[in-house]
Amino acid sequence: MELHRRNVLGLGGLAALSALLPSCASSLPEADVGATGFGQDGEGVVRLWCRAATVTGVRQTVDAFNASQDRITVEVTPVLDGQYVTKLATAIRGGNVPDVVDIDDINSMLFIYRDAFTDLTPLVRQLDFADALNPGQLGLATRDDRHYGVPYIADNSALFYNTELLERAGFSDPAEVTADFDGILEAARAVGALGDGTYGWTIEGNSAGILGFVVQPHVWASGDRTVVGDVGDQRAAVADSPSVRSTFELYRTMWEEGLMPRANFSGDGARWGADFRDGTVGMFPGNYSLAVLNADEEMRAKTGVVLLPGPDGGRATFAGGDNLCLPRGGANPSAAWEFVRFALDLPQQVDLPDGGYLPVRSDAATEEYRERHPLAVAPLEGIQDAYAPTTLAYNLLFNQPDSPWIAAFRQAVFDGDVDGGIETGQAGFTRVLEQAQL
Amino acid sequence: MSGVAGLGTDRAAATGALQAVRHRPPRSLTHPPHQGVLLVAPALAFVVVFVLAPLAFAVYMSMTDWPLIGSYEFTGLSNYLGVAQDPVFWRSVGYTVLYTAIVTLPILVLGYVLAVVVRSNRRGSTLFRTIFFLPYVIGLTTLSFLLVLEAQPDSGAVNVVLRWLGITDGSTAWLADGRLATGLICVMIVWGVSGLTMVLLMGGMQGVPREVHESAEIDGATWWQRERSITIPMIRRTIAMSLVISVIGSLLAFTQFYVLTRGGPGTETQTVVMYIYQRGFVQLQLGAASALSIVLVVVVGLVTAAQFRLLREKD
Repeated sequence: MELHRRNVLGLGGLAALSALLPSCASSLPEADVGATGFGQDGEGVVRLWCRAATVTGVRQTVDAFNASQDRITVEVTPVLDGQYVTKLATAIRGGNVPDVVDIDDINSMLFIYRDAFTDLTPLVRQLDFADALNPGQLGLATRDDRHYGVPYIADNSALFYNTELLERAGFSDPAEVTADFDGILEAARAVGALGDGTYGWTIEGNSAGILGFVVQPHVWASGDRTVVGDVGDQRAAVADSPSVRSTFELYRTMWEEGLMPRANFSGDGARWGADFRDGTVGMFPGNYSLAVLNADEEMRAKTGVVLLPGPDGGRATFAGGDNLCLPRGGANPSAAWEFVRFALDLPQQVDLPDGGYLPVRSDAATEEYRERHPLAVAPLEGIQDAYAPTTLAYNLLFNQPDSPWIAAFRQAVFDGDVDGGIETGQAGFTRVLEQAQL
Repeated sequence: MSGVAGLGTDRAAATGALQAVRHRPPRSLTHPPHQGVLLVAPALAFVVVFVLAPLAFAVYMSMTDWPLIGSYEFTGLSNYLGVAQDPVFWRSVGYTVLYTAIVTLPILVLGYVLAVVVRSNRRGSTLFRTIFFLPYVIGLTTLSFLLVLEAQPDSGAVNVVLRWLGITDGSTAWLADGRLATGLICVMIVWGVSGLTMVLLMGGMQGVPREVHESAEIDGATWWQRERSITIPMIRRTIAMSLVISVIGSLLAFTQFYVLTRGGPGTETQTVVMYIYQRGFVQLQLGAASALSIVLVVVVGLVTAAQFRLLREKD
């Protein structure tokens, strides 16, 4: 056979085209959730991806599900939080998706707007406890009144306090003294004045995700928002918010007065809450898992909890946690929904604090629950008002180490430049939102 | 009439044949036609499929709003216009150039010194070559993860040693400050990759004939004179190659920054490739990321060409 240059180029072109075509595929096929028998009597293997950060709680539910029947086996694949979005997006692009994903609720919208998740609206509406589901989390899986996921575990931020230290500092009613910034500053100063290496407050000042999780609710408590508008038409409101300024000023004051440990400057989350659990810190904005589950019995006995206050009152919490969504193109969606339904049942929900997380159903606050998990009651009671911004750019605005929120916070607090920090935040939010609009 | 016409036809045919002979490439008597094309076809196919096609595809993607998931539309040159107006991209370019400028010369100098130490076949040379090359074999990812631990305030080895020497109080947060983090990463990189430069330069040095050095020594040349006038000129090409590899590696720096700082605090330590990664795999904007990549390919190509031009041997 004669080989001409034209043939070689032609073959090369064909090879290139055949390599490229698979990557041009559009949305994957969606399961017919309205089909008769969907979500019943499924069988086979269900592949579940979960965040590494929540694998303990997920495994607890999966083990219970696998033990409850022998038709379906759920296999768990933990994925590192920082790589979750990228890996799931790549899997969707490759057409090889898990049957169900346990996804950080603030990332749900990113996939919903790109038609990657199955519309579960009929199934969600059929749930007899649909009204009790965490509205903040459900909102992060809802677009145009259609639900593309359901809340599964809640991970709300709250303010935990050491009752013993506060009492020694002269505050017998922690809920009252933590009602606004004046009270917090007063309490922090008094606890710091106790000496012996005690501090009024602690935060991981070099962890973007943590700063988004526990600092923002101070702003929301007063009704302010840092991102306003609907997805596709959002703008930054950092500079518009007096609460952002008040929050940065509170932190700057506490930092300058030495009311926070020096290690807060570089704290990247690896030892988040360790100083509080050691009993040397008066107040700790964190979550249930860190403040309670990882603490010993003695520390738990002297721990109290309220939601995070605003500058002049009000309280708020971050609607954190995970949603369960069924990616389009999954191999076993019916069995996957059966697992989802099981995960939302009350017995599993009531057990969640054992794994460090909170239920997503307000009706889970039963007498048994209150007795077993007293420090998980306040965050659960606050879920009706839990909030998180609905935006496609949450990761870029708050979670990434180079996000504008951490840059603004550090400039304001550690560099002592509140005005500059707010400017940095406003400019950074504006840039990111411009790039991230659909 | 027909005879004249026939004569004309014959002439035309003869002229055509003559032209064909003139334009036909000389035939090899030993190799059949197209054998050369056949022999290079596998390599050519490899390059087309794995280099040219992806590059062409990247160029195409760069002219769309291609997301990692979902559909896309052709957007022409808007991504390239976006590059020109993207302050974060240009800030990351500036930081990458600064980083490259900081590490390139120390890597070359240290690599040269190490090569001088191990180039002879004296006893122990092999051991030292292995020791000096070991950090490069370990790899940047492992080195970076080790440094994450060793740079921790109070507990990391870096701070413990500095406190022991009385230079700091041991609580320095190296990775929480842009300048400190850059300095630390530069030190790690110079230490970690100088071994490669050492091996390249050592190979060049061992190719310099011993007689040249011996005759210069007999003529009374000092060690430094021999290095400056004999070794360096004779390994000029190797030095050029080492520099090109080093500069390209620095311009494409990613791993060490991804592991150690993730570009932070803020965007203070964000390199160009990190920014491209952000746009592509965090923002899921592969179209914009492709445009940035194409710009980077062109810039790296120009820098490399300039380096070769500057360092080429003067005949």
